[in-house]
Amino acid sequence: MDKMQIHENPLFREELIRDYLLKRLDAETVEAFESHYLSCEECFEELRASQMLMAGLGQSKVEARRVEDILVLQFAGPAQLTRQSFELQELQRAFQQPDTKVLIDLGRVTKIDSAGLGQLMACYSHAVKNQGMLKLLNPTAEVRSLLRLTKIDSVLETYDDERQALGSFDRP
Amino acid sequence: MEIDPGTLEHYRRKLRYKVRYHLGSFCPDVDDAVQETLVRFLRALKEEKIRNPESTGAFLSGICNNVIQEYRRRQWKEPLLDPDSSPPERPAPPEADLLELRQAISIAMTQLSQRDRDILRAFFLEERDKEEICQAMDLSDAQFRVALFRAKQRFRRIYQEELKQKPRREH
Repeated sequence: MDKMQIHENPLFREELIRDYLLKRLDAETVEAFESHYLSCEECFEELRASQMLMAGLGQSKVEARRVEDILVLQFAGPAQLTRQSFELQELQRAFQQPDTKVLIDLGRVTKIDSAGLGQLMACYSHAVKNQGMLKLLNPTAEVRSLLRLTKIDSVLETYDDERQALGSFDRP
Repeated sequence: MEIDPGTLEHYRRKLRYKVRYHLGSFCPDVDDAVQETLVRFLRALKEEKIRNPESTGAFLSGICNNVIQEYRRRQWKEPLLDPDSSPPERPAPPEADLLELRQAISIAMTQLSQRDRDILRAFFLEERDKEEICQAMDLSDAQFRVALFRAKQRFRRIYQEELKQKPRREH
């Protein structure tokens, strides 16, 4: 590993850092890189930033699967639907699809605030506008009480059983 | 060759990172290994064993490798005496710090454009080659480089700013 190359070729450094974090480097290169970053503040900061970035990219996001013509959205890990949450953006993204039958599994949503509720309603409006349907599945007790308090549950059908929820899309 | 306290703290931070990388984030003895490395390093400095300041990083890394290896050997030779006994208590993870960090990262992610996120995700998470990403996203080599570094810089600026603002918001 060439010290000059690290600093003169940012893409090389980026690839090196990525492979170091993914533990894909051989022992010799690991040692050379560690010796380097121990005395190089710039490279250490780049390493830390890449680590944060990878953590951010890997943070819980929405997983989508299809059950016949219904799109089931589920959070890959504990999620918070609050202002500026990454999860909320992912949700919005899913609704950019012209798909109209959507079931959102809220089982892993640990927190929701007015921004999150607003977003759910925006998703619902979007679905209705496209002659579609949006339903909710498995809200936690906290989320459920908020849905009830805001009367959103009178608009958005909520289910505890996935099969039942999926079956409800067929009913007129 | 002399080391000022500030430089020593920089070394401590980086050594902690290196030790965690090799022993795992949940190793309860990370700080002990770092401390032992620094003690040996300062002793070597005192005995004027480091003649070339340019090689300080390699020297420090070498000491740290020895400490890590010794730790592993010790762990291997001295497993828990009583197999039924519970493992030593680990220091509680700084949950508040982790949450703060996670939120800062999350906020930074939301402020990136979808294109930036796609590029970063393809490169860092999906481990795709530059050529493959360029082809899939219709980017030239130069455009890819610019987009990648700009996106990473933007992410870094936002999350650092978020972390700085946290204490101010709480007061």
